[in-house]
Amino acid sequence: MIDITLGQYFPGNSFLHRMDPRVKMVLIFLYIFSVFIPQNWVGLGLAVAFLVFVIILSRLPVKLIFKSIKPIIPLVLITSALNIFYISDGTTLFKWGFIQITTKGITTASFIAIRIICLIAGSSLLTYTTSPTTLTDALERLLSPLKVVKLNVHELAMMMTIALRFIPTLIEETDKIMSAQKARGADLESGGLMQRIRALIPIIVPLFVSSFRRAFDLATAMECRCYRGGERRTRMKQMKMRVPDYISIVVVLAFAAGLLGLNFIFKSVL
Amino acid sequence: MAIISAEKVKFYYENYENSDNQGNTPQKPVLDSIDLEIKKGEFVAVLGHNGSGKSTLAKHFNAMLLPSGGRVLVGGRNTADENEIYEIRRMVGMVLQNPDNQIVSTIVEEDVAFGPENLGVEPGEIRRRVDEALKTVGMYDYRLHAPHKLSGGQKQRVAIAGILAMRPECIVLDEPTAMLDPKGRKEVLDTISRLNREQGITIVLITHYMDEAAAADRVVVMESGRILLDGTPREVFSHVDKLRQVGLDVPQPTELCYELRKHGIPLPEGVLTAEECVAALSMLLEETYADN
Ligand SMILES: Nc1ncnc2c1ncn2[C@@H]1O[C@H](COP(=O)(O)OP(=O)(O)O)[C@@H](O)[C@H]1O
Ligand SMILES: [Mg+2]
Repeated sequence: MIDITLGQYFPGNSFLHRMDPRVKMVLIFLYIFSVFIPQNWVGLGLAVAFLVFVIILSRLPVKLIFKSIKPIIPLVLITSALNIFYISDGTTLFKWGFIQITTKGITTASFIAIRIICLIAGSSLLTYTTSPTTLTDALERLLSPLKVVKLNVHELAMMMTIALRFIPTLIEETDKIMSAQKARGADLESGGLMQRIRALIPIIVPLFVSSFRRAFDLATAMECRCYRGGERRTRMKQMKMRVPDYISIVVVLAFAAGLLGLNFIFKSVL
Repeated sequence: MAIISAEKVKFYYENYENSDNQGNTPQKPVLDSIDLEIKKGEFVAVLGHNGSGKSTLAKHFNAMLLPSGGRVLVGGRNTADENEIYEIRRMVGMVLQNPDNQIVSTIVEEDVAFGPENLGVEPGEIRRRVDEALKTVGMYDYRLHAPHKLSGGQKQRVAIAGILAMRPECIVLDEPTAMLDPKGRKEVLDTISRLNREQGITIVLITHYMDEAAAADRVVVMESGRILLDGTPREVFSHVDKLRQVGLDVPQPTELCYELRKHGIPLPEGVLTAEECVAALSMLLEETYADN
């Protein structure tokens, strides 16, 4: 079964779980941007330390964080390798034909690797500590000023919520249909590209048919429950900024400013 | 007092397949002069062959469909009145067959909150209603779970909680147990009969399980868009031949007694439950034994 780690909420009651999701979202984006600020090891070390501190605050199992990083390891390795081989200034450590490894190459590669890992771990912190619905809610509220330009933010958010709600159901269903077709002798694993694509038709068609059925049912169910779009709708979970949220804003801003400052104090190693 | 009353309701599906080539409405109505009154606090089971119009009728009870002829009143409000639609849908909640396709949200409690949120209820009050509704259906411990990980019976109970949070007066359930295993069926049935008994919520249960119908106060049998039989389960299930003619069964104990009676064994009519059947049979055996 396909595992969609991003978008898998891990319920809890930590500081991060209780934060206003809007603040959390904005601050995590801010963090991701600030990971690209440091030009020196001290700054990068601080960025990593800050991430570790937030992970501890989130009380998530460390295993979960590693799980989110695992799929991007190939990407990290490839970009690092490219950097190592392409950067030719700095002290040369190793040279063989046109392949050359320099200190600067290694430094840049490590910086990039660490930044990507911080980026993914940071964004997965958001999705682990916030339920997808809350996430779309927060997005809806953050984007609500766009109503002015006639963008229906509520409908957009509703579509996202429904998509999130039905992804696991549809995955389950795909599995079922695949087993059913295999039981009838369908061969999904061998043959050339065209043959494999053709083999998918008996899976995709029933999946489509049932998705339309589901969409129709869901629309009925929503109407039965008095749904009439965004206007006049209230929410059970109010989003309210509290003292910890304000403190977090100050801390993250100070952190970003600190990283900028460190760039002036320490010499750039890139 | 009637909570729902259908008066001479006629209904045609006005879409292409049902129309003739000129686009005129079809000849045969899906609902044909339905007169039905559902009283406050009643537990009504609706039986009928597939395609007899049960779901279509149910959708008239909460203004999802409007009659082509006649009218439907819900608590005195006409379902054709645009301004009353949301009040009518609040009063008459509807639970559908497929438990997967009626849950909107990714977290149980957020799904239960969906109805009251649409009604514009104040947040603190929504919280209270959601907790209360989840406790009533016994799903409070699952409030933070993802719906797709629940069993079918649990999902249907969440759907019921979602309706309860709107503080309905009546719940219409359209074959809510058709896709469930026996355990899930029992959970759902226990929940709805408790709601009926303890909270006085009117229940309209569409089902094709005869034992579910036997537990109701009243059974309505539909056939080709008309009401064929309407009465207590005892009355309705005494028409074994008529029910069989329209492709319906009767509860097994009723059937057993009916068949035995047909073969000249003197058993009473209108036996509904296994207990009654056992009692009748053992009485009969005692009598024969005493006679010998
Ligand atoms: N959306 C629709 N469009 C056209 N015809 C429909 C539609 N839904 C149901 N019908 C027809 O109306 C009749 C009654 O259907 P329905 O109310 O679903 O019956 P039941 O729930 O008793 O099985 C059937 O003949 C069915 O084919
Ligand atoms: Mg039906």
